[in-house]
Amino acid sequence: MLTDFLQLTVAGLSQGSVYALLAVGLIAVYTVRHVINIAQGEFAMLAGLGSAWLAAAGMPLLLAILVAILSVTLVAIAMERLIIARVKKLTPLISIILTLGVSTLLQAIMLLAWGPEAKGVPLFPGTNLLIGGVSIRSQEFWMIGALVVVGGGIVLFYEKSRWGKALRACAEQPVAARIVGISPVTASVLAFAIAGFVGGVAGVVASPIYLSLWSGGVLLGLKGFVAAVLGGFVSFRAAIVGALLLGVIEAYVAGYVSSGLRDGAAFLILILVLVVRPQGLVLKPTAVRV
Amino acid sequence: MKKSRMRFIAPIAVITALALTGCSTSNLGGTAEADPAAEAGPIKIGAVLDVTGVGASLGVPEQNTLTMLAKQLNDDGGIGGRDVELTIIDNQSTEDGAAKATSKLIESDKVDIIIGASRTGPSLAMRPIAEAAKIPMISVAANVAIVEGSEWVFKTAQNDVVVLERILDDAEAKGYTKVALVRDASGFGEGVAEYITDLGAERGITLTMTEAFEPSATDFTPQMTNVRGSDSDAVIIWGINPSAGLAQKAYAQLSVNKPVYHSHGISNQAFFDAAGDAANGVVAPMGRLLVADQLEADNSQREVIEKFQADYSAAYGEQPSGFAGHAFDAWHIAVNAIEAAGTDADALRDELESAEWTGISGVFQMTAKNHSGLDASALILAEAEDGRWNLIKD
Repeated sequence: MLTDFLQLTVAGLSQGSVYALLAVGLIAVYTVRHVINIAQGEFAMLAGLGSAWLAAAGMPLLLAILVAILSVTLVAIAMERLIIARVKKLTPLISIILTLGVSTLLQAIMLLAWGPEAKGVPLFPGTNLLIGGVSIRSQEFWMIGALVVVGGGIVLFYEKSRWGKALRACAEQPVAARIVGISPVTASVLAFAIAGFVGGVAGVVASPIYLSLWSGGVLLGLKGFVAAVLGGFVSFRAAIVGALLLGVIEAYVAGYVSSGLRDGAAFLILILVLVVRPQGLVLKPTAVRV
Repeated sequence: MKKSRMRFIAPIAVITALALTGCSTSNLGGTAEADPAAEAGPIKIGAVLDVTGVGASLGVPEQNTLTMLAKQLNDDGGIGGRDVELTIIDNQSTEDGAAKATSKLIESDKVDIIIGASRTGPSLAMRPIAEAAKIPMISVAANVAIVEGSEWVFKTAQNDVVVLERILDDAEAKGYTKVALVRDASGFGEGVAEYITDLGAERGITLTMTEAFEPSATDFTPQMTNVRGSDSDAVIIWGINPSAGLAQKAYAQLSVNKPVYHSHGISNQAFFDAAGDAANGVVAPMGRLLVADQLEADNSQREVIEKFQADYSAAYGEQPSGFAGHAFDAWHIAVNAIEAAGTDADALRDELESAEWTGISGVFQMTAKNHSGLDASALILAEAEDGRWNLIKD
């Protein structure tokens, strides 16, 4: 009984780690540009399919993963430079339509390039553990580890580094930031680079057990979106907590209620949060917190 | 500042959700333009397949097979001097997509016969449309409900009941008395639990628990955790790939350590791609295609299987799957019937009801009552080992 509970918790936390990374990417872009990036989930699938393809072509796994993540980061930067930056007056509605277009475009490219079938990156090195009847797959360590290192790194970057503080300044006081010499162009590019990077990381660590599929980014991105809403779209920490919570709740719903209701849980949470507590899990909402 | 920001997010969320649900699909159908129907014009064969979406690992090889066979047939002069025009529509693995595609094939393309769909759900959605229009349809999916009591619908994949009999016979022989079921939540898995209960009763086998998964699912920890805690002797996983392969992977990684059976829904390379080493030891009933090299030399299916394997791998650079075989059989049964009876719908249907065909999935013998045409002899049991299937000799 307890074993089952812990087993579901482990699965939920590892799945939640992937949602958390996507939420971090969504918030990074939103705080700087007020753009809801619908293509965030596609970044993950692009990296997953890309590294699976490179690995299948004989490239060493580590190199394939790095090349894929880097490429997706460049795709995200290109998206910012070629599309987002070109729009003079970017309203939220326009931003959604634009990024939805990019999302559809990326899906079509993935479908044409790699076909309609799901593909997986080979398992990362490691051994599965069995602790007191609870089995923890090595890939789950990689997924949770990726969140700790990459997600944690980005939170630290925002809070401690000069660049991170500059990004926060742009988010909080765009005009003042500009006056003190922070380039909004650099800030925007950096935000998209972060979104592409975390999306890519999420895609490659999840791919060995969840597989990557040209159309899989939509639902995954939506889960990240729910987590970002739980973070009020401003707080990385609240969004990460929310994402882990979402993953765990999904696992409990699937395990104890019905697996068919699994995806429904995320949307129910989304509706409840928007109606009851639109600031999400953020405890003391300030104007902008990142 | 705070309040206005929060008000701002809610509508964005709604728009996002709407946008995402509406625009997540695309069409890869290789459709050909149809000429207005003419008496002596080309013979029109329509196909509705799950080329994209959860059924892609079935629909893609089926599309490949039909395209290849249509080309072969036209290169050889078509049917009685008439060219064959094949129109394939991708139903995106959805029921409504299949229904729309069927209506389009019948109403605007004016096809003489329809092949498809790849999976049970979409096939069931097509059935009433074909029945109402009185157009023969040959599904390549498994669930017997597709053809039960139907007048115009036939199918080529082995029936789920026959597959379950094969599994339960083996379970009985091995002395298992309690089985757990983890099944596809879509049409393919419908009725499976009931069949196991019925068929198991005759064999002293009870169904202890049933878990379900969506064909698009990627995480199977909850289901396998529950199976691990159950007091069953063996487990039946009933699904198609990649979900069945991922389920098998989770099964092994969560150390369930019970013997496991799969359905014939996994008879393709995608199973090994998704499950990897976790596939070792899996026992599944399937047609003879994937173990053709291990058949006796005098097996009646051997010749047709070997020719198909040679043609398919020459055209596509990979070995055909069991699903490609279902499409191969549907095509030949359709073409043979058209050769014998022409394109008059009633004559064609009557001809199909007496169709005989030694094919990839078995030796077919259609009758007015049996629109599936295969019995348990169409299936063998095979065990997975290092990315290939080993025939288990009776």
